[in-house]
Amino acid sequence: MKMPLTSLRASRWLPLCALLLTAVAGAARASVQTTQPPLRPIRIDLQDQAALRTGALYTLHLCVACHGIQGARYSELPPLLGLGKATFLKTIGSNGRHYHDTITSNMSTSLMMDFTHMAPLDLTEIAARRSPAWLYTYLTSFYVDPSRPTGANNVAFYNVAMPDVFAGMQGLQQPVMVNGLRFGSPARIAVGVRPLTAGSMSHAQFDATARDIVTFLYAVAHPHQQERMRLGPWIIGLFVVLSVLTYLIYRLYWARVITGTQRWWRVE
Amino acid sequence: MNDTPRSRPARVLDWFDRRLPLTALWRTQLSEYPAPKNFNVWYVFGSLALLVLVLQLATGLFLAIHYQPNPHLAYWSVVRSIQRDSRWGWLIRDMHVVGASAFFVLVYLHMYRGILYGSYKKPRELLWLIGIFIYLALAAEAFLGYLLPWGQMSYWGSAVVTNFVTAVPVIGKPIAQWLRGSFVIGLPTLNRFFVFHVFLMPMLLLALVLVHLIALHQVGSNNPDGVEIHDNLNETGWPRDGIPFHPYYTVKDLFAVSVFFVVFFWFVFYRPDGWGFLLDRLNYTPADILHTPSDIHPLWFFLPFYAMLRGVPDKLYGILAFAGSFVLLACLPLLDRNPVRSIRYRSPLYKLDLLAMPLSFLWLGWIAHGFATEHNMVYGLHVTEIFYASFLVLPFFNRPRSRAATVAWLIATEAVVGSIDLWMYSIHAHGWDLMLLTDWIPALYLLLLFGLALLRPAWTHDAARLPGRLTAGGVFH
Ligand code: HEC
Ligand code: HEM
Repeated sequence: MKMPLTSLRASRWLPLCALLLTAVAGAARASVQTTQPPLRPIRIDLQDQAALRTGALYTLHLCVACHGIQGARYSELPPLLGLGKATFLKTIGSNGRHYHDTITSNMSTSLMMDFTHMAPLDLTEIAARRSPAWLYTYLTSFYVDPSRPTGANNVAFYNVAMPDVFAGMQGLQQPVMVNGLRFGSPARIAVGVRPLTAGSMSHAQFDATARDIVTFLYAVAHPHQQERMRLGPWIIGLFVVLSVLTYLIYRLYWARVITGTQRWWRVE
Repeated sequence: MNDTPRSRPARVLDWFDRRLPLTALWRTQLSEYPAPKNFNVWYVFGSLALLVLVLQLATGLFLAIHYQPNPHLAYWSVVRSIQRDSRWGWLIRDMHVVGASAFFVLVYLHMYRGILYGSYKKPRELLWLIGIFIYLALAAEAFLGYLLPWGQMSYWGSAVVTNFVTAVPVIGKPIAQWLRGSFVIGLPTLNRFFVFHVFLMPMLLLALVLVHLIALHQVGSNNPDGVEIHDNLNETGWPRDGIPFHPYYTVKDLFAVSVFFVVFFWFVFYRPDGWGFLLDRLNYTPADILHTPSDIHPLWFFLPFYAMLRGVPDKLYGILAFAGSFVLLACLPLLDRNPVRSIRYRSPLYKLDLLAMPLSFLWLGWIAHGFATEHNMVYGLHVTEIFYASFLVLPFFNRPRSRAATVAWLIATEAVVGSIDLWMYSIHAHGWDLMLLTDWIPALYLLLLFGLALLRPAWTHDAARLPGRLTAGGVFH
């Protein structure tokens, strides 16, 4: 028996409409509150062990003065950098710590509080939270700001408490300011930097070094990235294949139901 | 009985069957359990939720082995001991994180399925109510677990929620203190949240899900046509529109499981933090008691409720608005008493209302995703009104209404919304301009619904004839 009934099959188009309409509602929402300076694009290559080694060298000698990298142990680094244990200890070293120790900051919390009024932040945590482009922009765009206690400010991080540790390498820089909004009120916003004095490195050299540091930070904060990329396609592929197989089995079984030859369901 | 000698495995099974009704259970609950032949894709989410429940229990077990419920150790025990020092720990943790969100996606779809096909109506009211309790237990489980990694958002999110509890008169403060085990979130809080999360709530969830399934098999499944298959039996007492759950739905569910895992593992491997939605970016930072984040909000699945809390400019009424949404869900069988179950055969305006329900819910989520600006709070209030209205107008569709009744419904509902807004004006909750600009949102929805009911009475009519039998089998053809 056939039903003379036309139903809209609402259950099929309802969710689609729901998605569409929310998208429209979302797009209509005005929300610009703080002018965001543009981020400097960057490509990092986790396979590039030369870059990782340069990054490790700077990070473990410069940044660890203040920041910890507590997610990682020194012993994790040689395989990452493509070095043997002995070479690693000779060229980069473990800051006098035990080889299997976690990488902690060289400065005590109380000393750090005296200097910057902040407990040191951990770089594993920072690099997991921030994108490579943000880190790259941050590291390359410190500028001179006499109004700050450290004499430095940053394009990506307004009123940052970190001093410009790159002044010697990069030279000093001055900001490029535009009129914009900060938390909804009009303000002068730094959107870029211009060189002020020359440093020990050329601009291209410094940018490359900054990129190496970002590469290393990213690698240390995402220790299983390579494993994810290697395993992911196999596991997902497995379930794609299983989906096809189970779909075929499903059709096979259901053919009986669909054609009505199934014992329990026969149209009178 | 025949006398042919039984094989060894069969004899082993016999031995068990005499002591435990294994074969009987298999038959009555699976291989000879009649399920409607027309389940569509909406009917896979229950089994998938069951799968995720098992997945969460299994991955959670391994996490609990390496986790340290102590504020000094918790953060690094997750980030280092679990994610780095133990083999496959990163995979287990990401599966647990993605699994939590998957659970809510599945359960929300599962609940909406129940709403679409009227699965809460007689005789499934209790099944539905048990479902609501499962949702509440699941929400508690997720809330408790969120504190464990001891990140910034863990800490401040829990602080905000336990703080809201204090707004309840008389018992609020003692309850909040009891929950925290202290005046602030600290070691006692973390200890008890850990125990509740790994022991109490999982036990409760398992028990509730078992009761849910027993209740389901007592009354049988509803289906996309809303036709009761047990009303039409053949000579042997088998429903004419029924097929045995096994093998038909087991093979279909296996297909669903495979597809689900493709999506699930894509997230696990490539987007374990789901662009900050599955794992808040702020939670990468260890909890810092001296540093309150500028924007505290829960994970995505609680955002709509958070918008309700924030939208009402009074903590206590905010809690009532939030709790009320569960009361509304629980009361669905009382609100919608129309004999037609499935949305397929309901009126166009009822369909519109069933669209407004998830839309306003998603909209609320979007609002709470933004900062706690006044703009967002006012929108939160008005969209909460729409969400509530989408439930409270359901009785209107219970039977055909006269024009006078329609006008009365319009006036009454607009009056309720209007008086809420008047109350907002009277307590100067928000600026006049912003209120005036946004008051129309719920008012317009009600006007649209009842206005169309007046102009096009036919749009309130359900299908003239209901099918006596199911209209099709399977959705994939
Ligand atoms: C003199 C101590 C010091 C040194 C050396 C130092 N930092 Fe910092 N850094 C800080 C302080 C203090 C902050 C916190 C800034 C704030 O929150 O205002 C900070 C913040 C940061 C941030 C931003 C944190 C966030 O919340 O997003 C990054 C990224 C960063 N440092 C990277 C580095 C790197 C890479 C190096 C090595 C090249 C380095 N720092 C060396 C003191 C230091
Ligand atoms: C842990 C969470 C849950 C699990 C594991 C679960 C499991 C299941 C399963 C396996 C089914 C049968 C298959 C199906 O119809 O999809 C089912 C049916 C059902 N569930 Fe759930 N459920 C859960 C939560 C909920 C919630 C939160 C609700 C509602 C508030 C709910 C309401 C229902 C209803 C009404 C049915 C019958 C639907 C029909 O026959 O049309 N369930 N559940």
